[in-house]
Amino acid sequence: MGKQMVMSVMSKDRPGIVADITGVIYQLQGDLADLNQSVLFDYFTMILIATFDDAVTPEDVVAGFSHIQSETKLEVVVKEMDTPMEVAKAKRLKETYVLTAQGKNKSGLVHRIGLFCYQHGINILDLATTLSGDQYTMILQLDLSQVKSVDTIRTSLTGYAEESGLTVVLQHEDIFKATSEISLF
Amino acid sequence: MLRSDHILATVEMIQKENLDVRAVTMGINLLDCRGGDVRETCRRVEEKIGTVAAHFVATCDQVSKKYGIPVVNKRISVTPIAFVGAGFDRHGFVELALALDRAAAAVGVDILGGFSAQVEKGMTATDREYIASIPEALARTEKICASINIASSQKGINMDALALIGQTVKALAETTRDQNGFGAAKFVVFCNQPGDNPFMAGAIHGLEEADLVLNVGVSGPGVIARALERLIHTKGRENLGLDDIAEEIKQTTFRVTRCGELIGRKVSEEMGIEFGVVDLSLAPTPTVGDSVGEILQILGVDVVGAPGSTAILAMLNDAVKKGGIFASKAVGGLSGAFIPVMEDAVLAEAVGSGALCLEKLEAMTCVCSVGLDMIPVPGSVDADTISAIIADEMALGMINNKTTAVRLIPVPGKEAGELVSFGGLFGASPIMPVRNVGKSHRFIAWGGRIPAPLHSFKN
Repeated sequence: MGKQMVMSVMSKDRPGIVADITGVIYQLQGDLADLNQSVLFDYFTMILIATFDDAVTPEDVVAGFSHIQSETKLEVVVKEMDTPMEVAKAKRLKETYVLTAQGKNKSGLVHRIGLFCYQHGINILDLATTLSGDQYTMILQLDLSQVKSVDTIRTSLTGYAEESGLTVVLQHEDIFKATSEISLF
Repeated sequence: MLRSDHILATVEMIQKENLDVRAVTMGINLLDCRGGDVRETCRRVEEKIGTVAAHFVATCDQVSKKYGIPVVNKRISVTPIAFVGAGFDRHGFVELALALDRAAAAVGVDILGGFSAQVEKGMTATDREYIASIPEALARTEKICASINIASSQKGINMDALALIGQTVKALAETTRDQNGFGAAKFVVFCNQPGDNPFMAGAIHGLEEADLVLNVGVSGPGVIARALERLIHTKGRENLGLDDIAEEIKQTTFRVTRCGELIGRKVSEEMGIEFGVVDLSLAPTPTVGDSVGEILQILGVDVVGAPGSTAILAMLNDAVKKGGIFASKAVGGLSGAFIPVMEDAVLAEAVGSGALCLEKLEAMTCVCSVGLDMIPVPGSVDADTISAIIADEMALGMINNKTTAVRLIPVPGKEAGELVSFGGLFGASPIMPVRNVGKSHRFIAWGGRIPAPLHSFKN
């Protein structure tokens, strides 16, 4: 069944970087499962999961990546996964909500919403923020499966919104799927 | 993965445009409730509604909370009551209405529709007793709505029933004189009445339906109006054509319909009853910003009723259907824009200023749903004139193979221009003048039937 590894790579962005990174995995005869990449301004980051032969070690993978040319040094972290991919995937959650928070930019906004989630037993699955002029927008995908009452969360959010001066909306993910995707039911 | 611009567009719709689900209506078959006498039948009706709809309102509230989208009205529609009470006299039907009212109150719904009959071809003795019971039945109940189908494209118009209905509307208004004739606002006359319409006052649980079914009415015109304003503001009027406007209406309707369908299906899943249809109708409320008239103004007529109003309404109605039909598994009911005068603040204002007259409204009903709706007329207008106005509207539906309806309120003791208000969702409006009153008597006196029309040679 092989060895599953999770790899994280960060560097200055340039054409060909995806080909180079996946080329290393290919040469080591790794089987790529999921990957997610993002570019923020000129910087590139990618998280990947792949299965390798038992003989391949995380050090081999890091060594492979070290040959990649980059304007900045390629930052690499490679770890062997302790939970099999299938098990991790099976945890796919039903009670996923989307929280949007918009308002005037000031420091500590993301930290405070992160703290709010932590204090209410909410896991953040995905988070993206954008700054446009002085308007800051945060979009969070949240796992509310550990939350007893969504009502309580909504009430607390109203307080949080008043206190932070943000416009906050919490909606079930299904609503967004319904309005933005063709097939749902 | 959801894209952030899609997320923000939906958030905007929910937050700023007051997206909601206008009505979730549970249809209940009552044919199996007929007992040996009136009392037994009433008991069974109350028992059945009390059992099958016991958790209806709570379930709607729970789903609404989970998804953060309000369900504005929770309603019940039942089998047209003239079938359930076959053989009863008028007093029996009044008892049935009272039983339905108690049942509606017990399960906590806003309104119950289906105090109804279908007489498009002929009337039975029961149907006549049912019609005779309407004024008292509606005056003595709180939550009951009545409707009657007196015409269809297949059968023509029942002119005997039509003559009786003019008198019934007058009697209803007189019986509820102390409420400005409010009784007449709870009674609607149809041509081609659908059996799966979730909107009141015309909701029934048709004979063709299963035992229990759930139908949903989507959000109102406010969402469309705000989307159009935003489009015009962002892109600039000079850069847009009416095809762009139609496209925006389609896309917004798609989203609105998807939300309605999602909520409806979740409620029906929770309750374990069949999901019926989504009704795409844009139903205005008297609230400012929730008006079909306002959309017409945004699209280019300074007042509703000005030339161009019919064309804009035609485009709006069609775009709503195109977006909605693709969004939903099953569309039904009335599915068009409503123009109920008292319930739409901009329409009511146009009546007050004299911009909108009855004849223009009649023309507008040719291209939208549902008909001459919630129009207060002077109490002095006679029964035959009311019947004749209804006849014209029925003819539009019959010839054009569409649903049309009439809900006129002849306000006792008041004349054209005076303001009448029923409050809440029923709204307010100045009384609409009626021209040529008292000149249709010989026509209504004929009785009989207007035969069913040809269904070919359509020019």
